[in-house]
Amino acid sequence: MTNSRVLEATGLKKSFGDIHAVRGVSFHISVGETYGLLGPNGAGKTTSISMVSGLLQRDGGEVLLDGQSMTTTSLGPKQDIGLVPQDLAIYPDLTARENLRFFGHLYSMPKAELVKRVDEVLEVVGLADRANDRASEYSGGMKRRLNIGIGLLHRPKLLVLDEPTVGVDPQSRNAILESVEHLSSEGMAVLYTTHYMEEAERLCTRVGIIDQGEIKAEGTRRELVELVGQQDRIRITATGVQESALDELRRLSGVHSVSPSDGSLELLVADAGAVLPEAMRVLGSQHAGVSSVSVEEPDLEAVFLHLTGKALRD
Amino acid sequence: MSKILSIARVNLLRFLRDRSTVFFVFVLPIGIVMLIGAQFGGDFSPQLGVASGGGTVADDIVARLDAEESIKLVEYESEDELLIAVERGRLSAGVSVPAGMDEQLAAGSPASVGFISRPDGVGPQLQVVVSEAVAGAAEQIMATRFAVGKGADPSAAATAAAAVAPTIPDLNVETIVAGESLFPASLGRFDIGASSQLVLFMFLTGLTGSAALIQSRQLGMTTRMAGTPTSIRTILAGEALGRFVIVLVQGLYIMLATILIFQVNWGNPLGAAATLIAFSAVGAGAAMLFGSVFRNDQQAGGVAIVAGIGLAALGGSMLPVELFSDSLVRIARFAPHYWANEAFAELVRRDATVVDILPQLGVMFGFAVILMAIASWRMRQVITRV
Ligand SMILES: Nc1ncnc2c1ncn2[C@@H]1O[C@H](COP(=O)(O)OP(=O)(O)O)[C@@H](O)[C@H]1O
Ligand SMILES: [Mg+2]
Repeated sequence: MTNSRVLEATGLKKSFGDIHAVRGVSFHISVGETYGLLGPNGAGKTTSISMVSGLLQRDGGEVLLDGQSMTTTSLGPKQDIGLVPQDLAIYPDLTARENLRFFGHLYSMPKAELVKRVDEVLEVVGLADRANDRASEYSGGMKRRLNIGIGLLHRPKLLVLDEPTVGVDPQSRNAILESVEHLSSEGMAVLYTTHYMEEAERLCTRVGIIDQGEIKAEGTRRELVELVGQQDRIRITATGVQESALDELRRLSGVHSVSPSDGSLELLVADAGAVLPEAMRVLGSQHAGVSSVSVEEPDLEAVFLHLTGKALRD
Repeated sequence: MSKILSIARVNLLRFLRDRSTVFFVFVLPIGIVMLIGAQFGGDFSPQLGVASGGGTVADDIVARLDAEESIKLVEYESEDELLIAVERGRLSAGVSVPAGMDEQLAAGSPASVGFISRPDGVGPQLQVVVSEAVAGAAEQIMATRFAVGKGADPSAAATAAAAVAPTIPDLNVETIVAGESLFPASLGRFDIGASSQLVLFMFLTGLTGSAALIQSRQLGMTTRMAGTPTSIRTILAGEALGRFVIVLVQGLYIMLATILIFQVNWGNPLGAAATLIAFSAVGAGAAMLFGSVFRNDQQAGGVAIVAGIGLAALGGSMLPVELFSDSLVRIARFAPHYWANEAFAELVRRDATVVDILPQLGVMFGFAVILMAIASWRMRQVITRV
C-alpha cells in the first residue's frame, strides 16, 4: 500500500498574514491515480499545490513524495514531480523546443534522451509542427499545451496540473483532457485542480472538494454523491403501465421511489446503471410500451452546493 | 555547473533576440563614440599649417607633407602666426621648421622641427604624419652624406648607412601643445570617448537588462525553475552569469568595433581585458540588484536609465574627472564607473599594465561582490515567498 503511494500530504497549513489560505489539507495519490482538487477560486488549491511541489514553505503538515519529505530546498523529491503552474510559465521569446530543452537541462536529462523526449512531448501536446516557432506567436491554447509539456518532459512520477484549461478554447481543452487521460492510462499519478466539475468527473479517480482552505469531502464521484444522499433520476415515457408494474418496480433493490405522472414514470435510484436494465425487464414483462428513457445523474456541482451552500462558479 | 550554464545561455539567447538590443546595444554606442570623436577631433580632412625658415631640408620636409593626400597644407609666415592659428582652432596642428637648419645639420649639431597641436583633436595622428616626413628628410640627408663620403654604390648602402649612423646629427620633432592639455598628445581622437562610453554602456546594458530578470519572475519562470531539482543558489548563479556575459558582450563589442572602425587604442590588452571583466561583474551585480528590488520591469527600466546615466556622469563618463573639483572627485569614487574610467585612463594614457591597475580592479570586484551579495539575499526572499 505505502509503496504504491506516490504522494502523501497530511495536515497542510498555510497563512498569508490574516488569510488562512490552507487549513489542514490532507490527501494521498497512488500510482496510476488521478486525484482532483475541485473548488472555486480562492479555495486554496494553488497554495496547497505549491506546498506539495516544494515551492512554498508550509506552516504545518507534511508532504511525502515517494516516501521522501518535500521541502522548498529538497532537490530529490522535486525530480519526481512535474509541475504545471496555473499561470503560464514559458519563455515567450524562445521556441517550444528551446523551452523544453531548457527545462530538460534543469532536470539533468541526458542529452540523447532529452532530444528524443522533446520530440515525443511535442507530439503529445500537439506542437510538433510549430516546435521551432517562438512561443509568443502561439495561440492561448498552444501556450497552455507547451506549459503542460514542460511538466511532463522528464516523466515525473507525479504530474501536478493547476487549472490547466482555464481560458482555453474548447478544442485545446479537449486535447489537454485527452492527454491527461492518456498519461494516466500509462500509469502516471496526476494531481489535477479545477473549478470545472465536468473535468473532475471526467478525469479523476478520486476528488477532494475544497473550499476555504479545507477539504470538505473526498472520494469517488459515486461516493461523494452518496455521501450527500443524492440519487440518480430515471425518467421513462411509457404507455400501458399497470399498477402491478409499479409495485414490481418499487420492489427492485436500489429503487427509492417511483412516481407516475400521465404517460411517464420517474424513478429515484441509488445507481441508475444497475437499476435501468431491471426496470426495462419489468416493464417489458408487464407489456408496457416504452417510448423513451432518460437518466439524470446528480453531479459534483450538486454535491458542492450541498456541502458549501454555494455554487462552484459565481 | 551545466545547469548554471543553461540558465546563463537562455539569458543570452533572450538578450540577443530582444529587438531593442540591436539598437541600444549595437548601434547606439558606436554612434555616440563617433559623435564624440567628431566633436573632439573637428573635421575629417585636417588642416596642417607650416611655417618654414627655408633651406634644402626644410623644403624637403614641406614637399613630403604636401604629398600627403589626407591632409591640407597651409603655409604661414612665422611660427607665432602658426601658433595662434592652432590655438584658435583654425588649424588642426602646425609644423614649424626653423631657419638655418641646413647649416646646423651640416655642422653636425642636432636640429628640431616643431610640432604644434591642440591638446585634444587629430593632432596626434598628424604628428605621426609629420614625424614620418621628418624621418624621410633625415634619410635623405643620410643618403647624401653617404654618397659624398663613401662613393655611390647602392649595394653597400645598408652596411655603410649603419656605419655612418652615429655621425648623423639628430633631426627630430619637438611637440608644442597650444592651450592647456587634458590628455597627452598621443591620444587618438576617439580614444577618450570610446572608453568612457564603453563604461557607460556596459553598466546601462546591465541595468536595463534587469528588466529581463523581473520579467522572468513575473512570467513565473524563476518559480518554475525553483520547482525543478535546481537549488536557488544555482538559479541565482545562472542568472548572474547570464547578466555577466551580456554586459561582457556589450563591452567586448564596443571595444572590438572601436578598434576596427576608429582604430581606438585600448592600451595593454591584458589590462583592458581585466578591466572589461571586472566591470562586467559590476554590471551583472547591479543588474541582479535591480532585478531583485523592483517589482515591475517598466519601473526598473526607468530607474535604470536614470541611474545608469547619472552614475556614469558622476564616474567621469560624461566629463573627464580631471575637470571635477576635489570634493566631487571624492563623491565620484562611489560610482563604480570612476574606477573603470581610471583603469582605462591608466591603460590608455599612461601605458599601464594589469599590475598598475590592480587597485582599480580590486575596487571594481569589491563593488561586484557587494552588489551580488545584496541581490542574492533579496532574490532568495523574493523567490521563496512566491
Ligand atoms: N502570496 C499570497 N499572499 C497573500 N494571499 C495569498 C497569496 N497566495 C494566495 N493567497 C490567498 O490565499 C487564498 C487561496 O488562494 P489560492 O490557493 O490561490 O486559491 P485557488 O488556487 O484555489 O484559487 C486566497 O484567498 C488568496 O487570496
Ligand atoms: Mg489557483
